[in-house]
Amino acid sequence: MTVKWIGKRMMMGIIVLLIVSFLSFFIMHAAPGDPAAAFYGGNAQTLNAAEKERISRVFSLDRPVIAQYGTWLAETVKGNLGVSYKEGRPVSTILMERLPNTLLLFGVTLFFISIGSIWLGTTAGMKEGSLWDKGLSTVSIVTSSIPAFWLGILFISFFAVKLGVLPSSGTGDIGGEGGFVDKLRYLFMPAAVIILTHVGIYARFLQESIKVESRNYYVTVARANGVAEQVIRKGILRNASIPYLNYIGMTIPSFVGGSIIVESLFSWSGLGQLTVKAVVTKDFPLLMGGILLTGLIVVVSLFVIDLITYSLNPRLRKGDVR
Amino acid sequence: MKSQKALISWCIVLGIIVLMTIFASFLSSYEPNDMNLDEVYSSPGGGHLLGTDHLGRDVFSRLLEGGKVTLTVASVSVLVSLVIGVLYGGISGYVGGLVDTVMMRFLEALITIPSLIIILAFQAFMQGGMWSMALIIGVTGWLVTARIVRSEFIRLKDAEFVKMAIMFGTPMWRIISGHMLRNSIPAIFVVTLFNFAGAIFIEVSLSFLGIGVPPAIPSWGNMLYYAQNDILIGAWWIGVFPGIMIFITILAINFIGEALKDPERRRLDA
Repeated sequence: MTVKWIGKRMMMGIIVLLIVSFLSFFIMHAAPGDPAAAFYGGNAQTLNAAEKERISRVFSLDRPVIAQYGTWLAETVKGNLGVSYKEGRPVSTILMERLPNTLLLFGVTLFFISIGSIWLGTTAGMKEGSLWDKGLSTVSIVTSSIPAFWLGILFISFFAVKLGVLPSSGTGDIGGEGGFVDKLRYLFMPAAVIILTHVGIYARFLQESIKVESRNYYVTVARANGVAEQVIRKGILRNASIPYLNYIGMTIPSFVGGSIIVESLFSWSGLGQLTVKAVVTKDFPLLMGGILLTGLIVVVSLFVIDLITYSLNPRLRKGDVR
Repeated sequence: MKSQKALISWCIVLGIIVLMTIFASFLSSYEPNDMNLDEVYSSPGGGHLLGTDHLGRDVFSRLLEGGKVTLTVASVSVLVSLVIGVLYGGISGYVGGLVDTVMMRFLEALITIPSLIIILAFQAFMQGGMWSMALIIGVTGWLVTARIVRSEFIRLKDAEFVKMAIMFGTPMWRIISGHMLRNSIPAIFVVTLFNFAGAIFIEVSLSFLGIGVPPAIPSWGNMLYYAQNDILIGAWWIGVFPGIMIFITILAINFIGEALKDPERRRLDA
C-alpha cells in the first residue's frame, strides 16, 4: 500500500517537473534572437546563409521543437544546464553556489512559522470565544495583508539606517571570516520579515480547524467519559493537524514566490535573487536553471509534507488512496 | 450583526480609495510626472502634502496616479482569470467523467508551480507595458477560480431544480447560464475578490523588482522600487505612503471577503 501511494505521489511530482521544464524550454525557444548568431557572437554578421544552415544542422536547430526539447531534457537530467550568458560559467555550478543560502532561508522561516503558528493556533483554538481566539482572527488578516517586501523596506529604514545595528543587505561581510554569528546577523531581517507576514495566517487556519474538530461528537463523548483533558487535546490536535498540513502544502508555491522578492530586497544571494537578476539581464540559460531548481524545491517539499500527512493519517495508510 | 457593520465600513474604505484614484487629476495640484529639481527630497508638509521624490515629483499625485495603474492592472487581470476559470471549471464540472479527471489532474500540477515564477519567465522576453502584464497575471491566476466553479457545478448538477429543468427539456445553455452559473455567483464573487488582492500583490511585487510596469508609468510597486534607495538616505516618506495604500487596500479586500465568506464553505480557502 505504502509503495503504491508513494509511487502515485512521485508520478505527480514528475508530471509537475515536466510541465515546469517544458515551460522553461519554451522561454528559451521564444527568446528573441537567432541561436546560431548568438553562438558566434560578434562574428555573426560574417556568416553567409549556407554556413548558418550548417550550424543549424550541427546543433540540431533544424529539427522539430519537440525533438529539440527531448534532447535538451536528456541533457538536463544529466545535470548539464548549459552556460550562463553573462558569467560564462556552467549554470549548474552557479545554481549550486546559491542553493545553500536559499535552503537556509527557506528552512529557518518554515521552521519558525510552523513552531509559531502551532503554538498560537493551539492556544487560540482551544479557548473558543476568548480574547486570544478573537484577537488572532483579526491580527492574522492584518499581518497577512502587509506586503513582505514593504515590511522589509521599513525594517531596513529602521534597523539599518536609523539604528545601524543590522546590515541592510547581503549574505555576509565582504572579506570577513564568514562565521556563523556573522551569517545570523544577515539572516535576521529577511527571515523576520517572512515569518512575521506568514505566521498569522497559518496560525489562523490551525485555530479554525481545531475549533471545527472540538465540536465533533467524539470529543463530547470523551469528555463525558472523563478522559483526561491532556489526552483529549492531543487527539484534537492530531486530527486538526491534517487539514493544517494540507494548507501548508497548498500555500508552499506562493510562499516560495514571496521569498523570491524578499531575497531580492535584501540581496540575499540565493536562487530567487539569481532568477530575478537573470530576468533583468536576459540571461536565459541561467533563468531556465533557476526556474527548474525552484520547481524541484517545491515538488520535494510537497512530497515531504505528503509523507508527514501520510504518517499522521491512518485513513490514508489503510488503503483509502485517492 | 457586528460583521455587517464591519463589512459596510470596509466597503466604504475601499470605495474611497477607488474614487480617489479615479479622480486623481482633480485631487492633486501637481502633475504626477512633473519634475522639479529645486525641490528634491522635500519632506511632507509645506507645498507638497506627502513630500517629493528623487526627481522632485509630488508623492501625493504619484500615489493617486499609481493607484489608478495598480488597480487597473489588477482589475483587468482578474477579469481575464475569471473568464478562463469559469470556462475551465465549468467544462470540467459539467462534463464530468474522464474529462473532469484529466482536467483536474492537470490543474493540480499547475497549482504547485509558483505563479510568480511563470510570470517572471514571461516578463523576461515580453517586457511589455501594463496591458501585457495584466494579461499575464490573469492567465496565471485562474486556477482557484476554476476549482471553485467546478465544485459548485458538481454540487448544482445534483440539485433538484436542475434535474427538474433537465426533465422539462430546458435547453442546455439555459441550464448552464440560468441555473448553474447564476447559483455559483456568490462563491465566484468571493474567490474573485481574493484574486483581486492577489493580483495587486503580484503587480506590486513585480514592479518593485523593476520588471513590472515600465518605470515611466507610476504605480505603487514602481514607487517602492525607487524607495529602496531613497530610504537609505533617510527619505522614508517615499516608501511609507505607497506601502500604506497597498496595505489598506488589501486589508479592506480581505476583510470584505472574510465577511462574505460562508463559514460552512471552508473549501473556498485556497
